[in-house]
Amino acid sequence: MNDLPHAADLLKTAREAVTAEILPALPEALRYTGLMVANAIAIAERELTAGDAAARAECERLRALLPERAEPLAADTLTDALARYNQRLAGDIRAGRFDSKERGALLEHLRRTTGEKLVVSNPKALGVCRT
Amino acid sequence: MSLNDPAIRQRLAEFIARAAGAGDVVIVALERMSGGAVQENWALDVELDGEIRRWVLRTDAGAAVRESSTRAQEFAVLKVMRAANVFAPEPLYLCEDPAVTGRLFFIMRRLPGVAAGHKVTRDPNVVPDPARLAGELAANLARMHRIKPPHPGLGFLRTMLAQDNIAHYRSYLDTLSRAYPVLEWGLRWCEINAPAREETTFIHRDYRTGNYLVHDGHLAGVLDWEFPAFGNPLEDIGWMCARCWRFARPDLPVGGIAKLGDFIPEYERVSGRTVSPQELNYWQVIAHLRWATIALQQVERHLSGDTSLELALTGHIIGQLELEILNLTEHA
Repeated sequence: MNDLPHAADLLKTAREAVTAEILPALPEALRYTGLMVANAIAIAERELTAGDAAARAECERLRALLPERAEPLAADTLTDALARYNQRLAGDIRAGRFDSKERGALLEHLRRTTGEKLVVSNPKALGVCRT
Repeated sequence: MSLNDPAIRQRLAEFIARAAGAGDVVIVALERMSGGAVQENWALDVELDGEIRRWVLRTDAGAAVRESSTRAQEFAVLKVMRAANVFAPEPLYLCEDPAVTGRLFFIMRRLPGVAAGHKVTRDPNVVPDPARLAGELAANLARMHRIKPPHPGLGFLRTMLAQDNIAHYRSYLDTLSRAYPVLEWGLRWCEINAPAREETTFIHRDYRTGNYLVHDGHLAGVLDWEFPAFGNPLEDIGWMCARCWRFARPDLPVGGIAKLGDFIPEYERVSGRTVSPQELNYWQVIAHLRWATIALQQVERHLSGDTSLELALTGHIIGQLELEILNLTEHA
């Protein structure tokens, strides 16, 4: 077992040091890189904290959305299953299978999946109001 | 390889003397300018028979020349733009002899002004009258869109209409190991809603905040003529007004500087075209799809060993682009 604190805590603490101590001391030419470092650490930190709950939920939704074609997860890892479901979904969208009556269900799924992704990538984007 | 190698500087001075028909050429300054992953821009100050000239030398980045004719094509495009009164740097001399610097390059006049998106969208000293600047951008774009195929100087340009865009992004997605259902949805939506008839004009394909210079509050010139094509003129409008190019001001649809009312009517007046809200919406979707595929290419570059923090983080803007694609297509 690894010693404490865990990775997420280390990343958070490191990011706070970058933001509070390193960024203000950086010359203007390095400021953009400094901000990118802080952003990269923040994304990694959120990815670790989020765990695989969103991936499991996405997988469940995909199974419901692709009923006839969905095989049980069985021996698959979650990542493999997600990749295969998403391949199938992408092909079905391109073939027009979601053009009419299933369009609403598809869009709800895509919106949720995008939201889950943004919780990690850029939570601020979720709060942006529309023009 | 740096252009500041003494032997290269010497050959460059000799090239300039020949090209400009000058007796005496002194390179006063030669400095790499910021930006440009594919092309490099060097600020070049030259004393030509005792008179100082401020130029930009534009060359392929690195040793690998991507497409040998690209600089020559860009040079040709700039010539056509200047003749059509489009604000762009004046192209001066093209060097197609790799013996001079080791790469192909051309020299253009250096325009004054600020281009950086975060400054243009944030600093009222740079843009004191945003509506006026938006009007200038619109009129300039309308003049550019008067250039139509076939054009004797632009025979090398490919044609990219709506369906060509869709086919191009789909074939790129097919090369990736991961599937992108939101992008597939956006592409399907664009296919279903594709315009029945399209006009074909010269299009810039990167006409946006960050790629034009503002000097004394006015449009001084448009930069980055690397991606032009013959295509639907509305593609440039959609790109200019896409949320992903608004920098500090996502609330201002025209490149983060102005309202649609400051831009579209002036474009319509000068071009004689009309731009409906539906058409604008359609080409904004195409804009986000295009930026998403470029972002995916940047991620690939990072993952394939050309590691860069900036390229890596570009991968994490894809969710935002997808969200915008969903917002633009959901009720349309």
